[in-house]
Amino acid sequence: MALDIKPTRSELINLKRRIKQTQNGYNLLKMKRDGLFHAFRTLLSEMIEAREGLVGTYREAVQSISLASAIEGGLAVKSAAIAISRHPEVTVTPRNIMGVVVPSVVGTNLTTSIDERGTGLIGGSAYIDEASDSYSTLIEKIVKAAEMEATLKRLLVEIEATKRRVNALEYVVIPQMEEARNFIQLRLEEMEREETFRLKRFKNK
Amino acid sequence: MEIAIVGSPEFTLGFQLAGIMRLHNPENDEEMSQALRLMLDEEEVGIIVVDAADLTRMPDKLRQRMSDSISPTVLGIGTEEDNTLRESIKSALGVDLWK
Repeated sequence: MALDIKPTRSELINLKRRIKQTQNGYNLLKMKRDGLFHAFRTLLSEMIEAREGLVGTYREAVQSISLASAIEGGLAVKSAAIAISRHPEVTVTPRNIMGVVVPSVVGTNLTTSIDERGTGLIGGSAYIDEASDSYSTLIEKIVKAAEMEATLKRLLVEIEATKRRVNALEYVVIPQMEEARNFIQLRLEEMEREETFRLKRFKNK
Repeated sequence: MEIAIVGSPEFTLGFQLAGIMRLHNPENDEEMSQALRLMLDEEEVGIIVVDAADLTRMPDKLRQRMSDSISPTVLGIGTEEDNTLRESIKSALGVDLWK
């Protein structure tokens, strides 16, 4: 590599200071990467459990709605679905994990009571109510899983970026600076030797 | 923010029963990818729930976009597990941590 630097003492001092600063930054970034990875691993094991639970709940919900449709008829299920008066909503607020802004998802109206279903206490069906309950549970789990998934994605992006920065510092930036420092040191030593030699020649004359 | 459900009428009916209003029943894959593309740009949608089986038939580019999207978060559910997050972890970290 061609080094375009001035081999002076002040440059050497500056370079040594910059190497020290870069190494400090490198250590901090490495700690950040490890911290993020730890948070990621903890959340990932929760997410795996949540995902498994989600699949199980979905299967139960599908079974209950199939049963409701078979017993009460598809039209009755559709009518009950149209009559629902409360609708689930989610609120997304930002949260901070080691400097990474992740979403915190809070659901409202996720479950509906019998009187909010709009079919009345007598007009409703136990099978449809059961299916409705199963899907309400499923939605609760979906909201939780969505929050975890979004958080994991953000953490993943940040881990990847930090990993790249750490690698760039470790394998490119710091070695280049050290090479420049060595070059200046060698050049200064050579200049010193030349100077001594010149003085000796001058003395002999 | 709303929760949106995309899939066949059989898939969305149960969610409608739980009170969700934002339902999309596309008739073919092209309509579905169009609906998903539009929803990804909407600020009012917080979560998009898609049938995991339908998700696998979407174009790669759209699947990547859905996988990267945080708001709205796209969640594939079905009787089989959705592996998109697992794949992103594998490609980002180089190891399969989903164990």
